Amino acid sequence: MRGARDDARPTICRPAGPPSHVFTSNAVPQPETTFDAIVIGSGISGGWAAKELCEKGLRTLVLERGRNVEHLKDYPTATLAPWELPHHGATPRRLIEENPLISKAAGYGEDTALFFVKDADHPYEQEKPFDWIRGYQVGGKSIIWGRACQRWSRHEFVAPEKLGYGMKWPIGYDDVAPWYTHVEHFIGVCGAADGLDAMPDGDFLPPFDFNCAELHLRDALRVRYRDRHVVQGRWAHLSQPREIHLQQGRGTCQARNLCMRGCPYGGYFSSVSSTLPWAQKTGKLTMRPDAVVHSILFDARKAKATGVRVIDAHTHAITDYFARIIFLNASALNSNLVLLNSTSSRFPDGLGNDHGLLGHFVAHHNYRTGASGTLPGYEDRYFYGRNPTECILVNFRNLGRQDADFVGGYTTFTGGYRTRGAPIESRMGGDYKDNQAQPGPWGIYMYMQGETIPKFENHVRLHDSLKDQWGIPRLVTAVDYDDNDEKMIRDWRTQAEEMLGVAGCTEVESHDNHQAPGLDIHEMGGCRMGLDPKTSMLNAWNQLHAVPNVFVTDGACMTSTGNQSPSILYMALTARAVDHAVNEMSRQLL
Amino acid sequence: MIARAMPPMNRREALKTSSGVLAGAYLASSILLVACTREGADRASATDATLPVEDMQLMEAIADTLLPTTTSSPGAIAAGAGPMMVLLLTDCYEAGAVERMRTGLDALRERCVERCGGPFNTLSPGERESLVQEIDAEAVAAGGTHWFHLMRRLALQGYFSTEIGMTRALRYVRVPGHWTGCMTLEPGQPAWG
Repeated sequence: MRGARDDARPTICRPAGPPSHVFTSNAVPQPETTFDAIVIGSGISGGWAAKELCEKGLRTLVLERGRNVEHLKDYPTATLAPWELPHHGATPRRLIEENPLISKAAGYGEDTALFFVKDADHPYEQEKPFDWIRGYQVGGKSIIWGRACQRWSRHEFVAPEKLGYGMKWPIGYDDVAPWYTHVEHFIGVCGAADGLDAMPDGDFLPPFDFNCAELHLRDALRVRYRDRHVVQGRWAHLSQPREIHLQQGRGTCQARNLCMRGCPYGGYFSSVSSTLPWAQKTGKLTMRPDAVVHSILFDARKAKATGVRVIDAHTHAITDYFARIIFLNASALNSNLVLLNSTSSRFPDGLGNDHGLLGHFVAHHNYRTGASGTLPGYEDRYFYGRNPTECILVNFRNLGRQDADFVGGYTTFTGGYRTRGAPIESRMGGDYKDNQAQPGPWGIYMYMQGETIPKFENHVRLHDSLKDQWGIPRLVTAVDYDDNDEKMIRDWRTQAEEMLGVAGCTEVESHDNHQAPGLDIHEMGGCRMGLDPKTSMLNAWNQLHAVPNVFVTDGACMTSTGNQSPSILYMALTARAVDHAVNEMSRQLL
Repeated sequence: MIARAMPPMNRREALKTSSGVLAGAYLASSILLVACTREGADRASATDATLPVEDMQLMEAIADTLLPTTTSSPGAIAAGAGPMMVLLLTDCYEAGAVERMRTGLDALRERCVERCGGPFNTLSPGERESLVQEIDAEAVAAGGTHWFHLMRRLALQGYFSTEIGMTRALRYVRVPGHWTGCMTLEPGQPAWG
């Protein structure tokens, strides 16, 4: 990819120097700045756009604002044991003090900080508290993602309209199902065939094992409830690689549970371990790291987007790249930012934004609440390895009909764990030490991933005057919880405590951590799909209604949030949109 | 005695000692680590607070009273937990923890001399244990802010995160290779590190 990067540095029209906000650039397309397709962003959906476009023979430029990261080569902490890390894995106070925001992210630590941005480099304005977690590098947040890959149920697509809390999706489960299969096959998703309406089955590799506490919980809930299923989650881990995974140079997950440092075995899916090298092998990919996208260029005469304006992250030199189609996969809020900043006389309020809806209806997943309890017994049972996956207590709320005092569903992640340190009276000495090294009691934890309602007032916009170091307006976030979220939290806590009690747990507690929206790292919307151009930004194929050669297939496109983890839906929608784009191009419609 | 006999070190020297010890251990264990270790050492050198080496040795000796060598595994001193405890205290624990620890250590030194006529490391194991038990009882009575709670936390975290603590007291498997969810726990089998 490094070699390709140099090839992709053609016309630089301004010498390196301080950023100027008066843009001059190579206005005329040159062979070296012209491609069939441009993909903005190399994360989980951008990587998929690149793979699919390149496989279909399109010369594709991928623009990534961050540094280059290559599989294996750029994982400096991947193989270190805890005692080989400077602070043995404890997070230095200074790292937290210098990054009060990003250091809150799940999985952030001295071993993974290299894949998260530094707070000071990328400021934004929080009109309401919002933790915007970003990973700027080739591969984006796909290196540090949670790897949960449940399919949406058919209910999730229709519930917002059916139960009156949102707009109709222009597509349904049946439109996406074959593309879920397409993605699952390539990335490798482990899971069981559970036959559950609320969490459909897919093309899965063998699931991970339950431990004894998880089996206990599953069986206890099965006896007490008809509708509460504890199953293995669906995870982008190669429990048993197939030929297609071996062809990617990836192997079996080694149960190290150090995923977010980058996996030297390719045991989990990321853009850098899978889609980007795959795209590279076609010979059609040009990768351009350190390329901060300023805007998408629009030609009013052609009524089309013509290319993308890029600022070099280091030299601040400006280059325009040109292509027939553009895939915007900059991550949910950054895709909004790019569109808002893509102004022209035709679109003074942002590309495709004829109605002022761009940046609105931003939503997220509610991760505020969790619960746990001690599980008596099973002293003679243990496990081997470090499980990188979790179980799921499948959504049972508002499934097809409203049965609660709130709308939306919730997925519950759960797992059994065994503490360390057998209970003992002595507080020092040999017995004390040896007991501290023994397994302690079992416990069960749960936490909620709840649907939130997209609302007009929950929005992002460009700041009037404050800019980032490249002269691009800073993003303002104005996203908050509402009464529905509070009711959902109350119900979840009641149910979780009850279920832990049913399982025989003692010392049951639940809590509300009151974390700000965004820390879920499931921000969605702002550029939603819909049937009606008057009420939505994108059509059923993720094309801007007003500029059909621009496709937005990351989290920005979401019409509602559902309660399942969203990444695999972005990947499926991306592959589906590329297929459509290439068909339209072959028919000369794009 | 040895600690007392050494001239007091200034902060920078103490830091060099502690991070040097760590750096040596890192380099021995993995080539991949070089860049990381340097970065870690630089960060450690840049911290504002640290402890003189005699404080580290006293902390390690107290930790060894809490977590001594047994037939099962080496204790805190044998594991070299001291430098790690210092690094956790200065770099990772809450601001003010260093001061709280140093005040506590000084009080313990005074009590050692008053009660037993000499510094901690000259006491017999029995004397050390009864002194630490006494302070621990005071800490339990005093509640969360007592310095000895900090001491215990550091001893446990420091010891069990060393290579010896992770591999000889606990069992750490660098590359498990697979996950087995449910199996028999053999009698006496330690917890996974």
